[in-house]
Amino acid sequence: MDLYRAYYCGLCRAMRRGCGWAAGMVLNYDFTFLAILLAPTQGTPVERCRRCPVRPFRRVAMCAASPALEIAADESVILAYHQLCDTVRDDGFFSGLPARVLRWLLCRGYRKAVRRRPEFDRIVRQQLEQLHKLEQENCPGLDAPADAFACLLQAAAPKSGEDARDRAAAQLLYHMGRWIYLLDARDDLESDEKRGSYNPVALRYAGQPDADAALRATLDRSLDLMRSACALLELGRQEELVNNVLWLGMPAVCQAVFDGRWAQMKKHRIWRKGYE
Amino acid sequence: MNDPYSVLGVSPNASDDEVKKAYRELARKYHPDNYQNNPLADLAEEKMKAINEAYEAIQKQREGGGGYSTYTQPGGQYRQTTGTGAYAQVRMLINAGSLDQAQALLDAQSDRGGEWYFLCGAVAYRRGWLDEALRNYQIACQMDPGNMEYRQALMMMQTGGHTYRPHQYGGGSGPDLCTILMCIDCCTPGGCFGC
Repeated sequence: MDLYRAYYCGLCRAMRRGCGWAAGMVLNYDFTFLAILLAPTQGTPVERCRRCPVRPFRRVAMCAASPALEIAADESVILAYHQLCDTVRDDGFFSGLPARVLRWLLCRGYRKAVRRRPEFDRIVRQQLEQLHKLEQENCPGLDAPADAFACLLQAAAPKSGEDARDRAAAQLLYHMGRWIYLLDARDDLESDEKRGSYNPVALRYAGQPDADAALRATLDRSLDLMRSACALLELGRQEELVNNVLWLGMPAVCQAVFDGRWAQMKKHRIWRKGYE
Repeated sequence: MNDPYSVLGVSPNASDDEVKKAYRELARKYHPDNYQNNPLADLAEEKMKAINEAYEAIQKQREGGGGYSTYTQPGGQYRQTTGTGAYAQVRMLINAGSLDQAQALLDAQSDRGGEWYFLCGAVAYRRGWLDEALRNYQIACQMDPGNMEYRQALMMMQTGGHTYRPHQYGGGSGPDLCTILMCIDCCTPGGCFGC
């Protein structure tokens, strides 16, 4: 798993270099996965030991700059910026304040990233707009809102020109987007209920006793389709890492969300970070 | 044709047993059973063909080196024999990946029985709209409880079909807690501050 860490830290660095220091604050794991998918499948990854800007006294191994990391860096800044815009729009003046500040910090980096990837920016806008529309309509299905996010993630992998590879990557990313969106909705179930906000899982399974089992079945089918796509991708040296995420990481997260342990884990992680 | 050894991922000096083992593992991975109704079934079929050819080529080169019959099975396509003309055409369109056309043709049908719902489910499945697919398969099964094709599709949505599981994730001794926690770190939905 050290290699995953190296990609993560390498992505953090690529974001700071390409989009300014504030970009590191919106680093996330989904796009680390994307960087791994896009990385070359041959040879050994070049790792360098560098100082971590968050914990400057520690030197960590990180993947050296590469086109894959740059794409993932730009795209995660673009997505984060638009998500912040959504938060600012949905929250009131005071509760939206942190998002407003972060958006302001991210603004310059976002503009740089858009100059490099205008197409991805266009798709993110379009898909988030679609998602917003479905939320406003109180869409009763799971698939339509999940599709909006899944198509967004699917667009994150640039075409390689090789049809078989592109189709397999598209299926992998589509179902990863679907899986993330729906699991996130399940995780937000309680807080959305308290606030009375839109939640596709709540609407779809209202009053059903076996709601969790049904949602799990559909999430597992997405996972099956991800795995079968992954088997066709020929990821070379990345294969083990990607398999690890698909066979251990994602099922474990899923289990934690359904058990209600996930919220605690998230809290614990933030707490731990504060003392590191 | 590519070098048969590189197709199987073994060195030309590999023993017959090693070649057979590599072939078996790849055949397990790309077996049509794992790709039933999967939109990528045709790609898996191509891979299967390539490794079959490679294995046969190596066997021929090494005449008499412990034969192991190759797998031959049709891919996971929708059967095209049942149904009226329009539905047969819908099945063809689905197999060809022309989902919008298939849906348009379905929308144009006024007689909506079990097969109509089954095929709507199949289109939804190919699009990745798995919940929609499940609901349509459920209705198809209610309307036509004796139909094995519909029941099989529904069961696959509920419990999953065959999937290839890499050896290291094939059960037996489970991963230690530490690995799991590291993995959880790997796919958090949402952002996270710093490293």
